[in-house]
Amino acid sequence: MTSLILSPAEQDFITRGVEGGFRADGRGSLDRRQVTLRTNMISQANGSARCRMGHLNVGTDVLVGIKAEVNTWTPGEPDNIGSIVCNVECSPSAAQEFEGRGADELNIELTQLLDRILNGPQSGICLEKLCIIPKQAYWVLHIDALVLDVKGGIVDTLIWATRAALLSTKLPRVVVESIEDEDGNLQSEFDVVDDAEDQIAVEGVNNLPLTVTFNQIGKRYVIDASEQEEAATQARITVAVSPSMDICAVQKSGILRGFSPSLLTEILHTACKIAREEFSRFKDTFAAVLSNQSSNEANTGSTFLGAF
Amino acid sequence: MDIDTETQQQNLTTQIVTPGSAITSDPAFMRGHGTFGEHGTIYSSVAGVVERINKLVSVRSLKQRYSGEIGDIVVGRITEVASKRWRVDVNSRQDAMLLLSSINLPGGIQRRKSESDELQMRSFFAEGDLVFAEVQSYFADGALSLHTRSIQYGKLRNGTFVSVFPQLVPRSRSHFHTLPCGVDVVLGVNGYIWVSKHVPAAKVEANAEHIYSNKNEEISETERESIARVANCIQLLNRLYVKITDTTIIFAYEASLGHAVKDLLTMDIATDLAHAVNSRLAQQG
Repeated sequence: MTSLILSPAEQDFITRGVEGGFRADGRGSLDRRQVTLRTNMISQANGSARCRMGHLNVGTDVLVGIKAEVNTWTPGEPDNIGSIVCNVECSPSAAQEFEGRGADELNIELTQLLDRILNGPQSGICLEKLCIIPKQAYWVLHIDALVLDVKGGIVDTLIWATRAALLSTKLPRVVVESIEDEDGNLQSEFDVVDDAEDQIAVEGVNNLPLTVTFNQIGKRYVIDASEQEEAATQARITVAVSPSMDICAVQKSGILRGFSPSLLTEILHTACKIAREEFSRFKDTFAAVLSNQSSNEANTGSTFLGAF
Repeated sequence: MDIDTETQQQNLTTQIVTPGSAITSDPAFMRGHGTFGEHGTIYSSVAGVVERINKLVSVRSLKQRYSGEIGDIVVGRITEVASKRWRVDVNSRQDAMLLLSSINLPGGIQRRKSESDELQMRSFFAEGDLVFAEVQSYFADGALSLHTRSIQYGKLRNGTFVSVFPQLVPRSRSHFHTLPCGVDVVLGVNGYIWVSKHVPAAKVEANAEHIYSNKNEEISETERESIARVANCIQLLNRLYVKITDTTIIFAYEASLGHAVKDLLTMDIATDLAHAVNSRLAQQG
């Protein structure tokens, strides 16, 4: 993803390490780096989260903000569902090549990936519940992600942050009233309750998937590749798995090579196995974040020197 | 009056500043590096620590690029092959140059570089290759000119690359160390560090024909683990802002032996190890 070029000797060192199951930083092929998570950092948003994946609090860093908006229905749109609009942007502070238009391609790729995972029944989010009055008004969730640092494995970090942000999202309650007009037809009207205490979570967020990205290096593959490993990667595949262990999205990237069918089957099986651990890890991390936050109310996002 | 300047000195040396913070408005002081003056007040232009030498006030930034000096040992990555020269990334403000005339030919043949050498420059160094070199001189625009005219300089193989803050690597007599654990470390003053399997010098000299080869030697499991451990130790020293020398690396390595290699880069263990290194350094005085 980044423009790092490795020397043939480094490539060989990494490849042989991966094939032997011992990576350059001592991890095994299926080990992840440390994750730092924090939620509700943006007070103006309905939900937000920041996730960093990397060693010693330096690593791929993604900030996600979610803003809910009421949209009026226009003909041609689906009758009774809400919608999700994703946008991913890579900050030029993350890498030099993101300067100017350098990040455009990656932005589109990530935006599309996020949209394909979230905007549909495969995401687990109950889009029908985002509809306020059929053919009249519905909620739009704007998911805006900002990639602040890149040290390999953007997609998984992005999904972690998005999942945490959606889990922390609170929508204002909406009161729908039906009034009979003079012709005897029922007319619906709605009212958004403006009360910070009276808010509800998004329906179905607990069914959101997590992704596992596999990088094929040599004959084997690793997850959560570092920047240098990504430079040695021949093919990459992202597998999104739901908490019920269904594979709900698969995207291949990297143009150098493809996967052999047998390796692909192995990867899909491994993805489910890893996803199971990932979900329990996510749950623990997220619970720790929530308990930390209730004890420490001052949530400025500006403590960059520490673990945020 | 004496006490007054004394306390002021104390205040100035322990001060941490960000760009634009006022340091002093005392006209007795002179502006040094990392500062600018406006309306008789000295402000910091970088984030760092205020330093005072007599009347000169300067700010040492916490993060900086490498500024080269002649004779420095550096590790660099080739970014471009140009006519009769390579451009090398050395973590500096601009890329350094490595002239075709300042490299050794395979086998150490002494002759002027011909046009045929120019045509096969990529067989010596190609884009992405890591080189171990010495700063020979400056160009007029401040870019560094490197040379690799020694048997120990040249292409780096058999290991892994770690990048650290350049200010953490002090200049010393030797930058090529063979650690007791059988790992070679090249500490580039520019903050680029190469950690590799130990290859005896005699073997390197015997292979003078192959100084530009890209082929790694066979690296065993245990050697790989030692390399990873040393690389992780350097990374944690860098992150916790400890000076990186052969001594501190050995201290960190020895302290780390109780932990698995992959756990070294978790915050708790890394902090413990850095404390252990610092206290051993303090003991040595």
